[in-house]
Amino acid sequence: MAHYLIKRLGAALMTALLASLLVFLLVRAVPGDIVAQMLGQAGDDAAAERALRRFFGLDQPVWQQYLSWLGAVLQGDLGTSWTRGTPVTDMVLKAFGVTLQLGLFTLAFATLLGVPLGMLAGIYEGRWPDTLVQAFNLLALSAPVFWVGLMTLIGASLLFFWSPPLVYRPFAAAPTQNLQIMLLPVLSLGLLQAAAYSQFVRQAVVSALHQDYVRTAIAKGLRTRVVFFKHILRNILIPLVTFMGLILIQILGGVVIIESLFSLPGLGRLLLTAIQTRDFPVVQGGLLLIVGVAMAINLLVDVLYHVIDPRTRAS
Amino acid sequence: MTDMCADREAAGTPCSRWARRFGRSLRRHPEMAFGFAIIAVLLAMVAVPGAFTARSPIAIDVAKGLQPPSAEHWFGTDDIGRDIYARLVYGARVTLGTVAGALALSALFGGLCGLIAGYFGRWTDLVGGRLVDVVLSFPPIILGVVITGILGTGVGNLMLALSLVYLPVFYRIARSGAIAEAACTYVEAARALGYGEARILFGHVLRNVVPLVLVQYMILFPLALQIQAALGFLGLGVPPPTPDWGAVLEQGKNYLMFAPWISLFPGLFILVSALGVILVGRAVQRMIDTA
Repeated sequence: MAHYLIKRLGAALMTALLASLLVFLLVRAVPGDIVAQMLGQAGDDAAAERALRRFFGLDQPVWQQYLSWLGAVLQGDLGTSWTRGTPVTDMVLKAFGVTLQLGLFTLAFATLLGVPLGMLAGIYEGRWPDTLVQAFNLLALSAPVFWVGLMTLIGASLLFFWSPPLVYRPFAAAPTQNLQIMLLPVLSLGLLQAAAYSQFVRQAVVSALHQDYVRTAIAKGLRTRVVFFKHILRNILIPLVTFMGLILIQILGGVVIIESLFSLPGLGRLLLTAIQTRDFPVVQGGLLLIVGVAMAINLLVDVLYHVIDPRTRAS
Repeated sequence: MTDMCADREAAGTPCSRWARRFGRSLRRHPEMAFGFAIIAVLLAMVAVPGAFTARSPIAIDVAKGLQPPSAEHWFGTDDIGRDIYARLVYGARVTLGTVAGALALSALFGGLCGLIAGYFGRWTDLVGGRLVDVVLSFPPIILGVVITGILGTGVGNLMLALSLVYLPVFYRIARSGAIAEAACTYVEAARALGYGEARILFGHVLRNVVPLVLVQYMILFPLALQIQAALGFLGLGVPPPTPDWGAVLEQGKNYLMFAPWISLFPGLFILVSALGVILVGRAVQRMIDTA
């Protein structure tokens, strides 16, 4: 187990390092950095340009910029925002709090809705509950998430004469307002993921129902409920954990759109604004955090997999 | 299709078998026909948009701005009086074209690299695997946002971003296919006959890996469509005034309460297209699985 963990961690670190290099080069690969943007308003001034480049550290060769950035990152310092002058670490972590809340709420909603739906469809394979659930899955998987978000906004105002508060407040400061503003984003992001869940669980239940051990359990007269919860559910648990990791990463990506649609000050919106203003340190920091979280999720899933299923430990 | 094959039925040619299987599959899954119908209409829209509407997708008529759906403007008009229906019909070419093109590029390059890495192994596999891991460590939409956000809007950049996002998926599929094929006896036999490695790879292994890549293409299409539309929605897609479904949707965001039809219909177009591709993709997969 320890050996496996070390190997897995080593590979993840290597990938993280390469990803950070990619991120770094990506933001620098394009014409039009922040100096050009600032000078665009002031006109041509070679001296000012040189001074600004030195100020932002852009006068050094790229590899040197990378190494000094990497060195600081390893000490937990993501640099200073070029447009706001505040430490990037603080900005990114504060925004991540919002994204994390949105992500976890969405995951909970999707799990609570998607898993029972999938089970229902799996048990009633080929009959009308199955058809209904599958139709829901198809529609939810085809609908663009931001469109669903817009439609929930229209629906809430037309049907319930309600619209969410306009300004985001953290949960600790104003719980009701926070939950109100989270409701529609979680709903629109969660419906899609619930469909993905339910489709996956349905498939797992259907294939489990055709397994010998289930046939034996039914043949020896066990009650359906026992067969279902003791035999089938346990075996589905393993692929379900893997799938949960996938869903979490999907959500992590999906928040970019949902956050900008509902004006939530999360990581996605921070990243989008930073890209538009060419605020490199914030782009790098934000991306690094997102990639880091995605990797951590993958790693966690792999480790959990080993804990749940002892057979995988042998190989 | 059945007529064409009728005279060869007795001989049991592959063609007739496919036709029979197709018929049976259609009877068992009638929703499949719906999927094929959607795809047919969309293809027609891409080929001859003029047949669907006489209006121009970019003609501005400010006096008729924000009109609700009517006999004259089926899906209403946007803030500067452009016909939403015409914009969506002409947008099919832009939206579906970029997705199809980007995925084709992705399948070609990712598939080729995966094929080589899987067949030859060793350092090619090692290098490819690392690079793919790096790209895969970004959530897909994030990578799309970063690339288009940094490189700027435009069809070329959009396609580049989309194809890069899905490159690793095609790579992995082709790689695992090539690994499985490389272990087959026919490869050994070809080698024993003195065939060159390149000839074995492109003459024999390739044609067994292509179906895997094609199925993957159909699976990824609806996902890529969502990302394409999302980028358009974030203003990172095709620059105006080119009609693009995601861009039209974004435009309606500001008039949501007075003119919901601007956003409603492009979303429906995306939904129905994705639905059609998913249904057809499933049908194709079922036919390959039972083959």
